[in-house]
Amino acid sequence: MLRRIWALLHKEFIQTLRDRRTLLIQIGLPIVQLFIFGYAIRTNVEHVPTAVADQSLDPASRAYVQSMVVSGYFDVIAYLPSQEEVIRAIDEGRAQAGIVIPPGFQASVTRGEAQALLLVDGSDVFTSQTAYRSITAIAGEHSTDLMIAQLQRAGQLRGEQRILPIDTRVRILYNPNLDDLWFLIPGMVATILQTQTVSLTAASVVREREAGTMEQLLVTPIRPGELMLGKIAPNIVISMLNMLTILAVGIFWFEVPFQGDFWLFLWLSFMYLFSGLGLGLLVSTVSQNQKQTQQTAMLIMLVGLVLGGFMFPRYLQPTWVRIIGNLFPLTYFIPIARGIVTKGVGLSYIWEQVIALLVYVVLVMLLSIRAFRQNLD
Amino acid sequence: MRGRLRERLRRLGAVMRKETIQRLRDRRTLILILAIPLLQMLLFGYAVDLTADHLPTAISDQSLDKESRAFVDALVISGYFDATLYVEDQAAVIRAIDEGNALAGVVIPPHFAAAVERGDAQALIILDGSDSFSVQAGYSAALSIAQAHALELLASKVQRLGGRLESTPIESSTRVLYNPNLDDLIFVMPGLIAMLLQVLAVNTTAQSVVREYELGTIEQILVTPVRPIELIVGKLIPNVFLVIVDQIVVTSLGVFWFGVPFRGNVWLFAWLSLLFILSGLGLGLLISTVAKTQKETQQLTALLMMLSQLLTGFIYPRQPMPPVVKAVGNLIPLTYYIRIVRGIVTKGIGVTFLWSDVLALAVYAAVALFLAAVTFRKRLD
Repeated sequence: MLRRIWALLHKEFIQTLRDRRTLLIQIGLPIVQLFIFGYAIRTNVEHVPTAVADQSLDPASRAYVQSMVVSGYFDVIAYLPSQEEVIRAIDEGRAQAGIVIPPGFQASVTRGEAQALLLVDGSDVFTSQTAYRSITAIAGEHSTDLMIAQLQRAGQLRGEQRILPIDTRVRILYNPNLDDLWFLIPGMVATILQTQTVSLTAASVVREREAGTMEQLLVTPIRPGELMLGKIAPNIVISMLNMLTILAVGIFWFEVPFQGDFWLFLWLSFMYLFSGLGLGLLVSTVSQNQKQTQQTAMLIMLVGLVLGGFMFPRYLQPTWVRIIGNLFPLTYFIPIARGIVTKGVGLSYIWEQVIALLVYVVLVMLLSIRAFRQNLD
Repeated sequence: MRGRLRERLRRLGAVMRKETIQRLRDRRTLILILAIPLLQMLLFGYAVDLTADHLPTAISDQSLDKESRAFVDALVISGYFDATLYVEDQAAVIRAIDEGNALAGVVIPPHFAAAVERGDAQALIILDGSDSFSVQAGYSAALSIAQAHALELLASKVQRLGGRLESTPIESSTRVLYNPNLDDLIFVMPGLIAMLLQVLAVNTTAQSVVREYELGTIEQILVTPVRPIELIVGKLIPNVFLVIVDQIVVTSLGVFWFGVPFRGNVWLFAWLSLLFILSGLGLGLLISTVAKTQKETQQLTALLMMLSQLLTGFIYPRQPMPPVVKAVGNLIPLTYYIRIVRGIVTKGIGVTFLWSDVLALAVYAAVALFLAAVTFRKRLD
């Protein structure tokens, strides 16, 4: 039996290694993606191009605009005469935020009734969210500072007294600088492992069937179970290799810290791989040709990507959407990967996900073995 | 002359008929082509929420007095935090975040009210940094809510001491243009429509040509009187129809089902979409001249899709990208079309504002189709 499996493995590895281009793409594509994420993508937008219509041009209005610029969130790209011009600049896409200050600002600040209008381009989600939040916060802070200065001058507050009665500190666990990559890498490892294993496995089985070589294999003494094992093995190697490359690039190049137990992570990802392999076999049994396989695999990837919590938080999804998300192994592995890599927690914290994943793996393997056998008969 | 034109049209008609029959025969693929965009719309429509609010929050209130409750209430009322868990101490809050039961935590030390009275109260807000997306929102929300709350306390204290209470000297009102409630759907749908259109235009074109090569049937067609250019055009026209149908379905789903407002001119949108479809078809043809097998085509289209998702401004903003990466994004027609779609659908602006993108798209379509036609001919010889 071992000899037969060995022979099959030999064949599969030769087949895999011969198709250099595919191999290169499989290993290269995720790395390209990682580099794009590492160097080009920011969800926390700074230096938003801002158009200013300062109709006062007095110290108070300059201080107000200055407080926005100093924060680093806004770059003034143009000084325009009126509100219409500012909206026009945003319409054109030249600016994504605008500040409008009416005439006589200094005087109304002294009277305590100054008004300013802040405009944010709402057609771009990350920019508008960050801009909205920061512009509102900075305006509030600036106003507070002014008020406190006024109170102090009026002698209603003594200078040495701490000014606000509550001092609130915000602490961000695991990722103090809110680095996007720290957050993305565990999720990327999880998604890549799933897409690769599903599509590789499905493709290798369907190709054999389409080329008619499946029949040839079945007239040899090889049993279906052995065949399955032989088909799966190279994919395990490629996928694990892929995962390790991504992790290595993430950790050594982008300096994303690996907080938890590396061996625990390795074992759990090994277990997770089997869920993808099982899914891949299932896909292969429902597809007649390579095109259909590709389409079905892509569908799984797509749905998993949106519902699994890779980018979009799951706690915000409606319950029925979450239930659909539970059909994808990704959903269980992402919290495991984030738990171990980013949070550095151990099994005692993530055991629920681990058990869910284990149950999933067993079920999907059983199902796929059955379907695979039936398919061969 | 007229006879030759008629001959030409007849041959074109024959190729188109063959293509249409082929397209209609492969039911499963056809269904997938129409269903995948619908599914994606539904997924994004129902499952994607990019405004992170209602963070599940663990609260450790060790004072349980008037002031501490007011502080927690201020956070909850903002809508950014939901008090889902009340726990003993800071360690328990961190444990809840470790376990993933909460994404945020509030710790209030004992004797909070007295400390507020003295003016030296402290509170701690803890956020889960492993979910940076939700936490970015939570971070600035927490800070400004806490600040506003403290300011209110200060104001009432000053008043009690007999001081005159000034309202804050500057009233800043923030207006979000086009999308006042920062609704994700309004943002995601136009981009998604554009994205689906490109994927469809590029993939179906590339596939239909490469399959012909792979099966060797292209030789058979070329020994007939059909000329290469007629073959291309005959292949493209059914694709254009398919993509247009998809475009109409997807756009109406977005507008009528998900209620995304369509502010601009529908006809302008339709014409510019046609221009975009042409550039997508050109790109698909180009891919088909580079790829030799269906597998290679798939790999190339997958690469294109990945780059499109990341670099064109579909979700991630283009503004912070380094110039090299932006330049790569400029090679994808989606980059221009996404701005056009957002401009027309969301902003409601016209050609006068969009002309540079429209021009870029037109040049793109012309160059891509021309290049494709030239390489296609060369490859056939």
